[in-house]
Amino acid sequence: MKVKPVASVSVLIILAAAVLAIALGATGYTPSLELRPLAEFYLKHCLNPFKKEYWAASPEAVTSMLWDYRGLDTVYETTVFFLAIIGSVAVFRFAEAALTSYKEAEKGKPKAEEGLSLIVRVITRIVFVLIVALSAAIALHGHLTPGGGFQAGSIFAVAPLLAIAAFSRRFLEELGLTKNKCLAIRTTGLLAIALIALIPLAFVLMGFAGSFIIQNQPKPWALHPVFPGFPVNLGPIWLAGTLILFNIAEYLTVASGFTLLFILLALPEEFFRRLMGK
Amino acid sequence: MVDVLLEILFLELLLAFSLTLALVLAYFTIVQRDLVKAAVLSAGQSIAYAFTYYLLAAPDILFAYIPIAVGIYTVLLLYAISKTERYEEL
Repeated sequence: MKVKPVASVSVLIILAAAVLAIALGATGYTPSLELRPLAEFYLKHCLNPFKKEYWAASPEAVTSMLWDYRGLDTVYETTVFFLAIIGSVAVFRFAEAALTSYKEAEKGKPKAEEGLSLIVRVITRIVFVLIVALSAAIALHGHLTPGGGFQAGSIFAVAPLLAIAAFSRRFLEELGLTKNKCLAIRTTGLLAIALIALIPLAFVLMGFAGSFIIQNQPKPWALHPVFPGFPVNLGPIWLAGTLILFNIAEYLTVASGFTLLFILLALPEEFFRRLMGK
Repeated sequence: MVDVLLEILFLELLLAFSLTLALVLAYFTIVQRDLVKAAVLSAGQSIAYAFTYYLLAAPDILFAYIPIAVGIYTVLLLYAISKTERYEEL
């Protein structure tokens, strides 16, 4: 691409002017020093052991908001994601028998030719493990450090993407990540989210009056007897009640949803041509 | 207080730089005729935005933004380009 000198000079001038204007205070101070009342509430109460009726038992204010204070929003978001993946799977619908027969035909072909060069494949093997480990760490620490189920799941999704690019689709299948398994993991994750959200309601049937859907910690001002809440810690391990459970379930849902999508996208065009020809 | 103001000024400068960089990369993404290069430039724009999120102290957004905008979105675009022509016609 040829960059004209006039264009590049004007871009530089725009850049310099924008930086100068903001340095002189054109926008005011963007990250405000004062907190808004709502932010102050969340920051004050998300890990406040002296006001346990408002706390979420987690030092991570964002995760507390996502899965406790505004939990229903996140459940709906997960539902939207679920429907999006369902739509993609519906677009790629085909009989499982067709895939099996295609694989049978492919079996005779030589295997050594697959993928990119040796350097790329070795590096991808290392990075693959690191990405999976990092995503699991982010999911399991979602209630303590920045990140959470959705972030960890989307980070995980990069791993199968790299594997498909560097090796082939077969690499994932040898790891056991087939279409049906991904669907099963994803449905399990979603059911787990629904179950965890509904457990407080089950306590209503057992006689605990003061509980509501997606409740994490007990609310002492509710009707008695009070719902005991989810365990805050297990010995030295901080659990933050439902937050860790929701994060793990969301991680499984998002990671397997994206992986499913990539497995379907990586199907060779030849396969669909053959399918349409039938 | 002066320390805080200096820090904020520095933050503002970095914000201005990264956002203008994103604007420049977006412009080149649009004028680029080679769609593969355009996808890579778009990923560069996403990196500039990710840097902005980091500066605005939003690591939660950053963690979701980097894999999706730089990884998944770019690869989906490249996949779509592989099904069509690489060069945009006039």
